[in-house]
Formats: sequence, C-alpha cells, structure tokens
Amino acid sequence: MANLTVKNLHVRVDDESEHKEILKGVNLSMNSGEIHAIMGPNGTGKSTLSETIMGNPRYTITEGDIILNGESLLGKPVDERARAGLFLGMQYPAEIMGVTNAEFMRSAINARRPEDNPISVRAFIKELDKNLEILDMNEKMAERYLNQGFSGGEKKRNEILQLLMIKPTFAILDEIDSGLDIDAMKVVAKGVNSMRSDDFGALIITHYERLLDYITPDVVHVMMGGKVVKSGNASLATKLEDEGYAGLRDELGLDVKLTDEE
Amino acid sequence: MKKQPFTTAADLKAFSQAHHETAAMTAIRMTALQQYLDLPLAEFPKINYRRWLLDEGQPFVANNTSVVAQQPITVNVDQQGTKPATIKLSAEAQATGVVVLDFFTAQAQYPELFAKYYMTLALPKSAHQLAAYHAASVNSGVFIYVPQNVKLTEPLTLNFQQDTTTGQTYVHHVLLVAGEDSDLTILESRQSDDEQVISGNIVEELILEQGAHVHFTAIDRIQTVAYLARRAYLMKNARLDWALGLMNDGDILSDFNTDLVGEGSHTEFKAVAIATGSQSQGVTTRITNYGQHTEGNILQHGVILSDATLIFNGIGHIVRGARDSDAQQENRVLMLSRTARGDANPILLIDENDVRAGHAASVGRVDQSQMYYLMSRGLSKDVAERLVIRGFLGSVLAEIPSAEARDALKRTIERKLIDGQKHRDSAE
Ligand SMILES: Nc1ncnc2c1ncn2[C@@H]1O[C@H](COP(=O)(O)OP(=O)(O)O)[C@@H](O)[C@H]1O
Ligand SMILES: [Mg+2]
Repeated sequence: MANLTVKNLHVRVDDESEHKEILKGVNLSMNSGEIHAIMGPNGTGKSTLSETIMGNPRYTITEGDIILNGESLLGKPVDERARAGLFLGMQYPAEIMGVTNAEFMRSAINARRPEDNPISVRAFIKELDKNLEILDMNEKMAERYLNQGFSGGEKKRNEILQLLMIKPTFAILDEIDSGLDIDAMKVVAKGVNSMRSDDFGALIITHYERLLDYITPDVVHVMMGGKVVKSGNASLATKLEDEGYAGLRDELGLDVKLTDEE
Repeated sequence: MKKQPFTTAADLKAFSQAHHETAAMTAIRMTALQQYLDLPLAEFPKINYRRWLLDEGQPFVANNTSVVAQQPITVNVDQQGTKPATIKLSAEAQATGVVVLDFFTAQAQYPELFAKYYMTLALPKSAHQLAAYHAASVNSGVFIYVPQNVKLTEPLTLNFQQDTTTGQTYVHHVLLVAGEDSDLTILESRQSDDEQVISGNIVEELILEQGAHVHFTAIDRIQTVAYLARRAYLMKNARLDWALGLMNDGDILSDFNTDLVGEGSHTEFKAVAIATGSQSQGVTTRITNYGQHTEGNILQHGVILSDATLIFNGIGHIVRGARDSDAQQENRVLMLSRTARGDANPILLIDENDVRAGHAASVGRVDQSQMYYLMSRGLSKDVAERLVIRGFLGSVLAEIPSAEARDALKRTIERKLIDGQKHRDSAE
C-alpha cells in the first residue's frame, strides 16, 4: 500500500510585486486504493496545493513537508516525482507544437522503463486503442500535436488519456470537470473509475459537487483560506451542495473571505 | 581570407591544362585570379567572418578515382573529396536524356550551357572575393542537366564528402540546369571529416528554366570551415522548394540566394539549424522578387547550445516593378544555454508599392511552462527539451519528401542535440 502525506504545508508564490502566503498549514494523508476529493471556493489554494505536491518550481514551500511512502519529496524535481508515481491532471495543460500526442505518451511510458527496454510499438498501440475507446476519443487525437488547438473539453479528456496510459500510483486531478458538459463529464468519470484498484489513489479537486455523483469519494476535504477546514465522508459533499461554502464557514466560525461573495 | 593571391597564374594554368579544361574555363580562372584581390569581401549583415580560414589548404593536388556502390535510384552521385564523381543513372533517367557528369568532363561536352549558366546568373564570378576564389580554383564538382519536359518520379541523390586528410582545399561546384517544364527532386547530403582545418568553398547553382519545378532537400554535416553558397535563378513560372537541415559542426558561412526573375516564379525556403560546441554558423537567406506576381517565403528555425553562435539573416527584397509580389519570412532562434549567442534578423527591402510583405522574428528560450508540463509526465529535462526542440524544428522535417531522408535528418538532429546537451551539462 502506498501513502501520500502532506504535513503542515505552507506555500508562498513569488509574484513580481508581492510574496503572498497561499497555503497556511495544509494537512492531508491518503493511501492507494482510496479516492479523496478536495472541495473549496475559488482562490483558496487548491491548484496551489496540487502544483506544489507535483513540484512546480513557481511555488515555494516555507514550512512543512510532502511525503511519499515515507520519503520526503522536497527538493526533488518534478520529473523525479512523476517517475516516483505522482501524476497531475492540470487545470491549464501546455500546448506543444510539433510533438504528437502519441509520441509524447510513448516517451512518458519509456521514461519509467529501463533505457534498453522501451515499450514495443504493438503493445503501445494496443494500450492506446483500449484507452481511446474508454474515453470515447477519436484515434486521430493521438496523432495531433500535444494539446495544440484542442478545445477545453478535449484537453481534459487528453489529461485523462495520459493518466490511463501512464498509470501512476497517485493522481491529482485539478478541476478536471470544469467546462465539461454532462456527457463529457461522465466519460471522464468512467476513465477515472477504470483506474480504481488497490494500487491507485486519486485526489480529485473540484469546485462543484456534481463530479462526485459519478466518482464516489471515500473522503471529502473542504479547503478554505489556505487550509483544510473539515474532512468527512461523501455526504459532506452533498451537505456543501445544499448549504454552500458560506454556510460551512459560518458554522465553523471561520474568518475567511470568499471571492465568489459580492 | 589572406591578402595575397592563393596561387600563381602559372600553377593555375598548369592545373587547368592537366584537367584538359576548355579554353573558356581556363580564361575564367585566370581572370578570376587577377580580379580576386580587387574585389570586395562578400557582405553579410551581423556576420563577421574576416578571421575565418576560408582559404586554408593547398589549392591543387592531383587525385585518383574511386567507386562507391549504391542502391539504384534515378540518379546517384557520390563524390569523395575532389576525386571524380561516381555517377549512376537509372534506366528511367537514361531514357529521358538526363545528363549527370563530373565537372571536368561536363565543361567540354556542354560548352554552351557552361557559357550561359556557369557563374553568370546565379552567382556571378566577380560578385565578391569568395566567388572569384571559387571561379579561379574550383577543383571538383558535378553538372546536372534535366531536359525540357522531363518529369522524374524518383529523386536524384547527391552525396558529397570532403576529405581534409589530403590537405587540399575543397572547392566544389554543382551546376544544375532544370529545363523548361521539367520536374525533379534532389536529395543532397554533404559531409566532411574533421581531421584538419581545411576550408571548403562550395557553390551550387540551380538554374530553373521556364516552368521547371525543383524540390531541393539537403542535409549538411560539415565539420570544417566553409563558405557554402546555394544560389538559384528562376525563370517564368518556375517553382523551387528548399528544405535544408544545417547540422554542421564547423564554422560555416551560408549564402542562400534565390532570384525570382521570371514572372510568376515562386520559392518556399525552409531551413533548420543546430549550433553546438564553439562553432559559428552565419546563415544569410535572400530572396529577391524581380518579376511580377512572384512569391518568396522564408522560414528559418534554429537552436543554439553551449557557446555556439547562430545568426539568421532573412532578406526579402522586392525590386521596383515587381508588382503583385509577395515576400514573407519567419526567423526564430532558441537559446539553450546562457553562453549561446544568436540573432534572428529579418530585413525587408521594398521598392514597389503593390506588394505584400511581412516578417516575424524571435530569439528566446525554451518555454518553461512547456518544460514543466512534459517533465510532470516523467520526462527528464534533457528528453523534454529535445521533444520541444524537435517540434520547433518540425517545419522542415515535414517538408522532406523521402521518408529515408526525413529519418536521416531526425537522427542527425537527435544526435547533435544529445552531444550538445552533454557538452553543455558538463560545462554548467
Ligand atoms: N502563479 C501565481 N502567481 C500569483 N498568484 C497566484 C499564482 N497561483 C495562485 N495565485 C494566487 O493564489 C491564490 C490561490 O490560487 P489557486 O491555488 O489557483 O486557487 P484555487 O485553485 O483554489 O482556485 C489566488 O489568490 C491566486 O490569485
Ligand atoms: Mg484552481
């Protein structure tokens, strides 16, 4: 069983003008075999948390630790963390001209294999076809340049396709549902659910409860003001849906300004 | 370049006679030698090559023939150093009257074509010192003539290898005449060893007669110092597509010039370059629209590692009277180390109103958000960087018509990048 733990994480982002602390002591622990969800209002630091776990150099950790299977990830570059088993489905994936999707995914798979034993073309194509079908994606998507000119929905699906191809131990999916219609969201959920196993864990970040109707979480965390303020089971998501973030904030007596508030 | 002549009139004459040259050719040499010191240096913006050893080596040495086996294609030319070319013509090529000859044989057999096209239009022999040096001391080359209306389905492959161990300068000439309405594809490969610093002075002249279509791919892997001119002259409605991979390791002064003389002529120029180690590559690509309704587009993408230098000049010149013409260009350079030096320098010279012209240029670094994205999937920094670069250089790869040549360029790019990264990473 694998474990990912975030301990008292404080993170700062270095803007041109200001150094502001975004995460103010996040605690979180999850095992493989589990699906966790993080919900929270806009601007509360959900993307900051996921990017920091992955190792985006734009974020600076000022305190705390991120631990994968007992080993600290601090100081490890993003590619090492990826090969150690982390995956981040990004809110805004980069577009790369001239590199095909298929070529990229093959390089990613081979990065996890010994140099003298790359995946065979046949095995790769078989796996690719299977996953394209799960995600109801056209074969042509594999030959297109990486995210180049993809619609918002296509980019999200493509993130999930990479997830299915790379098969990480822990996947963090940052607002993978944003901008998707209900059918597309069902497809994405189907992709994630197909990964469910004792060797896989996911941290699903979402603003709305809707996605969690299709991917049932084992644990739900609510983040506000740069911290996890409450954790519970799947019913917490439903409760939030009914009462809103403001309701929960007031119930907990927190002094947090919600950006969505007028 | 040195300030004294590189040979004597007597030696030059003896060399010409030993090769049984025509009187016309001997005269060209003698005049060029006389003019050499008085001619100006060739000028290329932002490229200072005055201290390069562009005339290093002995001009004239006797040589032997050699034969290299090759798989059959339309035409295959192999030329080792300054030895006579080994030429194979397929049945198709022979039946259609295609002529491919060693430079020395050709001038006697095709004196009219030489008189008309040899260093007259595409690169006039008195254009500058480098041209005169070439005209005086050319010591190897090939001549290709594709007659009117001949459409070749398979490419002509040209393999040229400079041999520096002989100590002899490499003054190599290619004269290609594509007859009216002919259609052909050239796949050229240029290489050299790096045993000694022996200069190359290479001039390729492409003459496209009315309605001729030529697709010209070249992969250059020159490891010594060279002036490399590819100069084309297009008549009415001719069309020339360039796809060049500048994968040299030496100091190379590239002079790529296309004159759109005939009405309706059109060229698409695409080149990619990688500069590594401490080499300098100065690339000047000029297209001049002389005729009406002519179109010339330049796309140059380059990558620089270590302390190498790469300069792209793109010159689009539309002369007065070239109405309804088009000149567009894009020059981009990526720098992959702190000590790399590069420039992307577009120059538009427009002397006519009724035209369309534009340019884009950039000198930058690899996009960090792209690198982060690729690395977040487990690719190491070097692999991610090579992927981004391969994408950046993809425009020329896509343009190469033969899968074999495409793969060859892909492999060369990969190898040169890996070498460059190793060199850079160990220095940093
Ligand atoms: N790269 C960045 N530069 C400057 N500010 C940032 C950056 N990333 C996030 N922030 C700021 O940090 C706060 C949290 O943002 P984010 O983590 O994106 O929240 P969420 O994903 O919960 O909406 C916001 O105020 C946002 O403006
Ligand atoms: Mg976010």
